[in-house]
Amino acid sequence: MNSHDDQQLRSLLKRSLPPVDNVEPRRDLWPDMLRRIHARGHRAVRFDLLDWILAGLVAASVLAFPALIPGILYHL
Amino acid sequence: MNSHPYIKTYMAGVVLPSLFLLVVLLGFIVARFIFEAPIPIERMIIFPMAVVPNLWGLWNVLYIAVVGKRRLPLGAWGALLPALLIPGGLALQEFVGASLFTPIEGLVVFPVIAAVYYLIWKHAIGFFNSLVGVGI
Repeated sequence: MNSHDDQQLRSLLKRSLPPVDNVEPRRDLWPDMLRRIHARGHRAVRFDLLDWILAGLVAASVLAFPALIPGILYHL
Repeated sequence: MNSHPYIKTYMAGVVLPSLFLLVVLLGFIVARFIFEAPIPIERMIIFPMAVVPNLWGLWNVLYIAVVGKRRLPLGAWGALLPALLIPGGLALQEFVGASLFTPIEGLVVFPVIAAVYYLIWKHAIGFFNSLVGVGI
């Protein structure tokens, strides 16, 4: 393959591949991302009565039987 | 577009036990090396370090993929996980020749762990799932 072939190959490649003009986005995308995160409306953590009762029972069990603590920690 | 929902779901399930592992590890290290409690931590740490987080991730994927479509609440699904974990922990104890709790103690502690799991899965895992855009 001589230099003439090289040049021809180069020009063929240039013609077949579309030019890449601007790889940067036209505008800053981060504000959109932030808007999306906030608009999604994550599930708010809200305890209902059953949750409070369960939390109270767990706390009472742990206070009454501290020996339970390693067993509980081991499974978390 | 919500791409790779199961990977996101797995990650949402894994994040909390992975974070909490630091607390558990610290607790066991303090108990073992400062208070000299007879806990063979080096043989048992594999369970909270590897088994628990992975099971949480897989349990969450199973919920999103199959169970959640049948309208079982996430908290209730999470509360079932100790039914697998406690026998698993007991089996591992047997396997490594250690003893942190007996089967009877496992039975006694089951409702407490199930209640803790219910609350964590309902609120924390539900929150993480909604954060990654699955299971809302």
